[in-house]
Amino acid sequence: MGYSVYKDNREFIKALEAHGELVTVQQEVDWDLEMGAIVRRVCEKKLAAPYFKKIKDYPGFEALGAPLATYRRLAIAMGMDPKSSIPEISDEYVKRTTGTPIQPIVVDRKKAPCKENILIGEESDLFKLPGPMVHDGDGGRYLCTWHFVVAKDPDAGLINWGMYRQMVFDEKTMVGPVLPFSDMGKMFYGKYAPKNKPMPFATVIGCDPLSGVAASAPSPIPEDQFTGMLIGKPVELVKCETCDLEVPAHAEIIIEGEVIPNLWIEEGPFGEYTGYRTTLREPRTVYRVKAITHRNQPILTVSNMGVPTDEGQLLRSFSLGLEMRKLLESQGIPITGVYMLPESTHHMVVVGVKPAYSKIATQIANLLFGSKLSPWFHMVIVVDEETDIYNKDDVIHALATKCHPINGIRKYEHTVGTPFYPFAEPDDRKWSRGAQVLFDCTFPLDWPKADLPIKVSFNKVYPKEIQEKVLKNWKNYGFKD
Amino acid sequence: MTIKEYDTFILTDLASVPEEQEMELIVRDLTPGDRRYKYRSAYVTALVSKSEAKYPDRLWIRLGKGQLQEKPWSIKILKEVNKIPKELQ
Repeated sequence: MGYSVYKDNREFIKALEAHGELVTVQQEVDWDLEMGAIVRRVCEKKLAAPYFKKIKDYPGFEALGAPLATYRRLAIAMGMDPKSSIPEISDEYVKRTTGTPIQPIVVDRKKAPCKENILIGEESDLFKLPGPMVHDGDGGRYLCTWHFVVAKDPDAGLINWGMYRQMVFDEKTMVGPVLPFSDMGKMFYGKYAPKNKPMPFATVIGCDPLSGVAASAPSPIPEDQFTGMLIGKPVELVKCETCDLEVPAHAEIIIEGEVIPNLWIEEGPFGEYTGYRTTLREPRTVYRVKAITHRNQPILTVSNMGVPTDEGQLLRSFSLGLEMRKLLESQGIPITGVYMLPESTHHMVVVGVKPAYSKIATQIANLLFGSKLSPWFHMVIVVDEETDIYNKDDVIHALATKCHPINGIRKYEHTVGTPFYPFAEPDDRKWSRGAQVLFDCTFPLDWPKADLPIKVSFNKVYPKEIQEKVLKNWKNYGFKD
Repeated sequence: MTIKEYDTFILTDLASVPEEQEMELIVRDLTPGDRRYKYRSAYVTALVSKSEAKYPDRLWIRLGKGQLQEKPWSIKILKEVNKIPKELQ
């Protein structure tokens, strides 16, 4: 049966249009910076997704920019009312992704639109695809910005779909960072490279929206099964042409090849998800291409990382926060919710809790910073149930008033980080070393009740009958809302 | 003859780049015959000069975070170098 979601990028585009979340750009745009600049402005102004119908030098190709850069578009992708609130979307996501994973099915290649065009050997030339120059100053054309890379663990056979940026180097070569603590990094640098074995990969561009959501989620469930949970039925896969991997049958473009062991080629710099170009151009992981398959009139998906909010920030924040929620709930911590702010570029998470015992905030931070998720964020803010975790004003108020500048802040030194942290020392970036911090915005339980400050707000310091009277007469007083 | 244009990223101190002697570097082609190949990268052996007029082609310089330098250098490309192992080409 499944949920009422979209089987491919094309159905999703129609849904975005129906809900006023799409601008169809009929004017020709240049892949060299112009398309990137449009997508960047769309992200910064939180506008509808641009659907580019004509790309300079590339007749027959189209592109969709910023496909999931707002909660409205995420709600549409989930098959929900676009007006759904963040807690409603979160609850639906947690409901769908808790329980039994749904195994994918492999369909016949005749039923796989991604096989409509097959380019193998010399024909598989990356410059035949309209990879954009996303930002001025980037190290190359980033064909893969909203996509995922499929890889398989050689021992366990488990599949990983992950978003690893890929820059076009030449006709047959892409390069990009693969961090050693990432799932694919553990497979490639832990298992293939030591044996000097190339690792088969398949890059999927222009998949259905929820496969993309799954690929950006840090769930322990293999992403092909996780996608099945999100869509409520098995995701349809098809065999690759040159290796034993499988890819979504309805995707727009597939690039197949091998990750080359013990060879590094310079990649970057790139405008990154933190809103800065932080990492230097450096030797990074090399992908060698053997085949490209694509649909007729293929539609490239383009994300543009920079200052908030792009889909990388929004979806990574969304799914990281909800994996933390699952972790804390599994440990019986009396949380009221978890929300990671996309504007923090998934660096800052807010956890609401009923302060049932002393130092509960420290316990929460220890669990989160001790988890596999921890390299990707470094600030945990713990608030009590009085604070609305989804309301930035409320969170800032709690941070500025309840967090003691000494007793409320706990620093974690010498932790795992990433090379992307703009604040990190250059040498720490090089070695993926980090630091983390807890802001405890709960009042200590051992304070005498009479010493507890009382929050002064409309909802807190007026009798219920006065509140009701004021609300009832609000428009009569002359106010509109 | 049309001047071809390339750029390269210099990750060390610009002053330390050797001039007028063979060196290996990565260049990006900014003026290919087929525009679809713009920004194609290649390892090359080349002669480089900080003087714009010394060698036939123009070489724009970028630093490690992509900062474009104001004045171009010049380059003479001697050959392209393939770094991919033969068995994987």
